[in-house]
Parts: sequence; structure tokens; C-alpha cells
Amino acid sequence: MNWTLNLLLLMFLLTTAAVAISLRDLLAAAIVFSAYSLMMAILWTQLRAPDLALTEAAVGAGVTTVLFVITIFKTTRRED
Amino acid sequence: MRRVAVIGVLLIIGAMLFYAIGKMPPMNSRNTPDKTHVVPRYLEKGEEEGGARNIITGVILNYRGYDTMGEVTVIFSALCAVVALLDREKRGLSRSGPDASGVRSSIIVRTVVRFAFPVILFFAVAYMMLHGEASPGGGFQGGAILGASVIVFTLAFGLPESTRRMPLKVRTPLESTAMIGFLSMGFIGIAYGVNFLTYLLPGVHGTIAQTIRNLMITVIELGIGIGGGIIFISIVFAMMREDKFELRPDIPQP
Repeated sequence: MNWTLNLLLLMFLLTTAAVAISLRDLLAAAIVFSAYSLMMAILWTQLRAPDLALTEAAVGAGVTTVLFVITIFKTTRRED
Repeated sequence: MRRVAVIGVLLIIGAMLFYAIGKMPPMNSRNTPDKTHVVPRYLEKGEEEGGARNIITGVILNYRGYDTMGEVTVIFSALCAVVALLDREKRGLSRSGPDASGVRSSIIVRTVVRFAFPVILFFAVAYMMLHGEASPGGGFQGGAILGASVIVFTLAFGLPESTRRMPLKVRTPLESTAMIGFLSMGFIGIAYGVNFLTYLLPGVHGTIAQTIRNLMITVIELGIGIGGGIIFISIVFAMMREDKFELRPDIPQP
């Protein structure tokens, strides 16, 4: 069923968003945020916006995560 | 006291937002202005006015062409800011991966990247950029995937390998192709006495007009794709730059 899949995706989206905010380990938060972007990309395809899904997967889950990880390695990993 | 005030303000804003949502037309309603005017206009005249077979490409490159040009300018400005703050990577100094440990990635990662990299690159250039006019995707998406593929390569093989294959001399002129391609193709329309970013030029008919339109759109898509991708790559390279580097003698290098 399509709406159950969407409901699951939305619940997972909200969970990853909440976890990404609350985590103190910034590296883990960056990875969870990339999972959030992946869920968002699947939801864009569910909303029939493949262009946005491609952008979200490439920029949100790919490039942004790499930039976050590089920044974390250059600075500190723990949030005080 | 302050907390109560914050919660009160948030509640008021939330109530206003929910009130506004309640006033919105129901989802999939057929009577909203976008369904009665905007969508039919795009579906009927999108190809003629926008100049692309994929209506989304027509919207991005024509109806809101100035917006797209602004986005291209934004990522170019981002690169300018990063370079101004961090400086470019330097040859001979940029030897390490993101964690500066000097340890090479495992053979599994390197083998997977070696096989996946050309496939991702081909997908980005051939499907996204060159075929983006008629299918989902386009220059910006292709550029992001192009940049991501080179970034994956960099993470697996290290910055020296990447900068050796993509030296600064090659990247610097390519970084501005997005803006140059967009502006030059846009001014062709003005030179013909019509609007900025017109693909079907007046006085040209038949298959020649189609060919010119396809060429112009291809130049714009390739420009945005290659320019955007190279900008992403340059930002990551500038951020990964290491000033000091030492091989760790206690860790065996495979």
C-alpha cells in the first residue's frame, strides 16, 4: 500500500530529524542527517518530483555530508 | 517568566499557522488558481514558450530563467567565499585524506570506487546533462552528481591523486562556465531583438530552429553541470587542504 509506505517514511523522517538535533556526537548527527536526506529523496519521488529527488540525493545526502564530515575532522567531534 | 513568554509567543504563532492551513484549499482540489490557470498554461504552451520538451526544464531555463541564473551566481559566490577564507589547496602539501592520519582506505573501498566511479560519471554527463531536456534531471543535478563522484574518488584515493588528475590549472577556467554559458546563450535572444533566454528565435523556422534550440539548451545544461560540479569539487578540495603533513611510520601503508 502506498500510504503505509508514505506513513512509514514520514515517521522515519521525523525520527531522524529529532535524533539529528539531539545527538551530542556531531559525526553521528551528520550521518543521521544524511539518512534524513535519503528519506526526503524517496518522499520526493513519492510526490512525483524526480528532479527534486535527484538534487536531494546528490546534494543533501552526498555533498553536504562530506562537507560536514570534513569540517568535523578539522574541528571537534563533541558538542559541548 | 521568560520561558512562559517564549511558549506563549510560540503558541500564538502556531495558532496563526494552523488557522492559515485550515483556510487553504484542500489537497488535490481542482478549483485552485494553480490548477485552473497555471498548470493548463504550462501543459499547453510550455513547449512552445519554454523551448524544452520536458516542461520542468522549460520552467527552470525559461519561465524562471533569472532565478536559475541567480542560483548559479550563488554557488559561484560560495566558492569565492570559501577560497577567500581558506585559500586553494597547494601542490605538494595536500597529501592526506579528511582525517589527516595518512592511512590509505581499505582495498574494498578502493575497488568499489574504481568500478563505480566511471558509471556515476557517465550517468551524470550523459543522462543528466545531455538528456536532461527530455527526462528528469538537468544541469544542476548532473553537476551535483559529477561533483559527488569526484568527491567519492577523493575520499577513497586521497587528495594528491585527485589533484594530480584534476589540477588547479584545469579547474580554474571551468569554474565559470555555468555563468558564461547562461549569459551568452541568454544574450543571443536579446541580440535578435526578443527576450532574454529565448530559444525559438524569430525568423528561423523548421528543423533549423529546433536544432538551434537544442544546441542552446545543451550548451546551458553542460555549462551549469560542468561549472557547478567543478565548483563543488573545488570547495571540497579547499576544505580538505592540509598545511602540515607527516606519514605515520607506526601504521603500515598498504
